[in-house]
Amino acid sequence: MRPIRLIARLDIKGPNLIKGIHLEGLRVIGDPQLYAQRYYEQGIDEIIYMDSVASLYGRNNLTEILEHTARHVFVPITVGGGVRSVEDARKLLRSGADKVAINTAAIARPPLLKEIAEEFGSQAVVLSVEAKRLGKGGWEAYTDNGREHTGRDAIEWIGEAEELGAGELLLTSIDQEGTRKGFDIDLVRSVADRVSIPVIASGGMGSVDDLAKAVSLGHADAIAMADILHYDRMTVAEIRDQALALEIPIREIAEP
Amino acid sequence: MFKYPAHADIDFSKFAPENPDLQTRYGLPQDVQFCTRCVISNQRPNSSVEFKHTKESQKQTIALDEEGVCDACRVAEQKHGTIDWDAREQELIALCDEYRSKDGKYDCLLPGSGGKDSFYAAHILKTKYGMHPLTVTWAPHIHTDWGWKNFEAWIHAGFDNYLCTPNGRVHRLLTRLAVENLYHPFQPFILGQKNLAPKLAEQFDIPLVFYGENEAEYGNPKTDVVSPIRSNTYYASKDFDNIYLGGVSLTELQEDFGLEEQDFIPYMPADPDRLEDVGVSVHYLGYYLKWHPQSAYYYAVEHGGFQASPERTPGTYSKYNSIDDKIDDLHYFCTHVKFGIGRATYDAAQEIRSRDILREEGVALVKRFDGEYPDRFEADNFAYMSIPEKDFPVASKNFEQKEMTKEYFLHLADRFRSPHLWQRAEDGSWSLRRTVWQQN
Repeated sequence: MRPIRLIARLDIKGPNLIKGIHLEGLRVIGDPQLYAQRYYEQGIDEIIYMDSVASLYGRNNLTEILEHTARHVFVPITVGGGVRSVEDARKLLRSGADKVAINTAAIARPPLLKEIAEEFGSQAVVLSVEAKRLGKGGWEAYTDNGREHTGRDAIEWIGEAEELGAGELLLTSIDQEGTRKGFDIDLVRSVADRVSIPVIASGGMGSVDDLAKAVSLGHADAIAMADILHYDRMTVAEIRDQALALEIPIREIAEP
Repeated sequence: MFKYPAHADIDFSKFAPENPDLQTRYGLPQDVQFCTRCVISNQRPNSSVEFKHTKESQKQTIALDEEGVCDACRVAEQKHGTIDWDAREQELIALCDEYRSKDGKYDCLLPGSGGKDSFYAAHILKTKYGMHPLTVTWAPHIHTDWGWKNFEAWIHAGFDNYLCTPNGRVHRLLTRLAVENLYHPFQPFILGQKNLAPKLAEQFDIPLVFYGENEAEYGNPKTDVVSPIRSNTYYASKDFDNIYLGGVSLTELQEDFGLEEQDFIPYMPADPDRLEDVGVSVHYLGYYLKWHPQSAYYYAVEHGGFQASPERTPGTYSKYNSIDDKIDDLHYFCTHVKFGIGRATYDAAQEIRSRDILREEGVALVKRFDGEYPDRFEADNFAYMSIPEKDFPVASKNFEQKEMTKEYFLHLADRFRSPHLWQRAEDGSWSLRRTVWQQN
C-alpha cells in the first residue's frame, strides 16, 4: 500500500492565510509563507494553496506567494483558485506549482480538464470538489468557496471528471469544514470506492482519530489539514507520531 | 378607482444619462459620496421611527466628515482604539450585579432570532455573567429552513423563549402596503421587532432589556454610542393618532382595509408610562462588550451548532448573517433601488470596519453582488405579498393588481428610483450614476 499523504491546506485571501467554518466567517490567520515554511520544516508531505477570492477578481493571485514558497519549500505544491485555461495552469506550474486544482471552470466547461491533462499530464490536474450533503441523500457540488449551487450530483461529476483526465481529487465537505467534528466519512468512502484516482479528504479534522477513520473507513489516500495546524492544535510531527502509533501507513521521517 | 392602481406613468426623461438637473428623493443628499474607509455611501438612511414612516418621510443620512470618513467607521476606530473594554466589562458586571435575580424570576430580557448575534448575547449573559435571561422572538415573515433550525438550536442551548407570531393575514397586508407605499417589505418585521422586547419586559415585570449592537455601529450618529441606553423614541409613544403601519394610518387601515383595532396590538409601541412603572431600561450589550459579528458566528457554532445557510444570500457574498427570513432578500433589493445601497455594501462595510476584509476586496464584492435580483424565494415571497379577494375580501378592493408578480414588483421599483442615483439606458436597463468602484 502506498503511504497515506499528509497535506497542509492553506486558503489564502489577498496577502493573508485565512480560515473559516463551513467556508464562511473567514478569519485572518497570518502570513501564508511563514505557515507553509513551518509545516515543511515539521515534515508535511505536500502543500495546497487555494486562492479563495480568485473567482471574485477573475484571476489567481498566488503567483508571487507561490514563487517565494517554491524556493524554500521542497515538497509538492498544489495551487487552486481561478484556473480557467491551459494558460492559467501553465503560469502557475511555471511559478513553482506541481499541480493545479480546478473547480468552477471545470464545472462550467468540463473539457478544460482534458486540455490541461493533455498538455501537462494527469498527474498535474487535481479536481477540487466542494460537496454539501443534501437532505434527500447524496451530495451537491458547489463552487465559489461553498457559496454557489451547481445543481450537479458530486459523485456523478467526479466520475465524469476522472474520465476527462483529472489525476487526483481534493474532496472538501462544506458541512464538516472548520467544525473539528471529523471528516464526512460517507462522502469520502462513496467517492474513493468509485474512482481509481487518489482522493484527498478535506474538511473537519479534529483529531488523529478522525484521520484514522478517513483512511480506514473512508479509504482516503491523503488527508488535507487546516484548522488543526493553523490554530496550532497539533504539529505535523505530533500528528505523524500519533498516526504511526495507530498503524496508519504514513511516511516515516528519519530523525535528523 | 383603486387606491393602488396597477400602473403609474413614470417620467423616464428625468433618468436620462445627461440630465443636468437631478432631482433627489426622500431627502437624500444631492451628491453621492462614498466613505474613504469602507464602502458605504452618504445616502444611507439612519434608523428611523418606523411607526411614523410615511411616503412623505424625509431621511436623515449617515454623516461623512471632512476626511470623507463615515460615522460608523469613526465608531469602529474608537472600538478598536480608545475604548477601554476592560472598564466597560466592569460596568456590565456592576449592572448585572444590580439586576441579578435571587428570587427565582428572570432578571433580563433579550430579544433575538437565534441568529449568531442573539445566540452569543444570551449565552454569554447566562454562562459568563450569571444572568437568567428570558429570550423573546418576533417571528420572521417567512422562516427559512435553516433559520428555523438555528432558532430551535438557540432555545435548546438553554433558554426559555416566547415567540410572537403576528396574524398572517394582517402581516401579509401590511407587508404589501409597505411595498406599495414605502418599497420596504421588511418594515412590518421592524415594527414588531423594535416594540416587542420593551412591551414584554413591561408585561413580565423584567426591568432590564439587552439589545445587541448599537445602531451607531452601522451609521447612526456617532454621538449615540456614548450611552449604553437605547433611546425610547424607537419603541415608545402615546401619540396614537400619528401611528402608521406600512405607511397607512390606523384609521385608514380600519376604514378601508378591513382591520380591527385588535389587529394592531403586536405593532403598537409600548406605553411610556407603563415602561416607567416597571423601570424598563434598554441597554446595548455592544456598549459593554467589543462586538464582532464574525466572532459571534464562531461562538454560536461552537456552543450551539449554529449553521450558516447552504448558499450565499442573493445580493451579497455572505451566508452567516441575517439568514432567517425569506423576505430579507427583497429588503436589500429595495434599499438598492431607493438608496443605491444593496446587501453586499452593508455586509462589506461591516466586515471592513471589523477588519475582516480590506476595502479593495469590499469594493470588488459590491461590484459583483450589489443589487442582484433575488429569485430564489420569489414564489413564496410574491404569494405572501399577494392580496387575493378570497383571503382579503375588504382589503383586496384597494389593489388593482392583486397578485404580486415580478413584473409588478419591478414596475414599483421604478416608481421609487431617485433620478440623482439612477440612469436609464435606451434599452430600458438601469445603472447607478455613481458607484464605489468608479469613485474615490
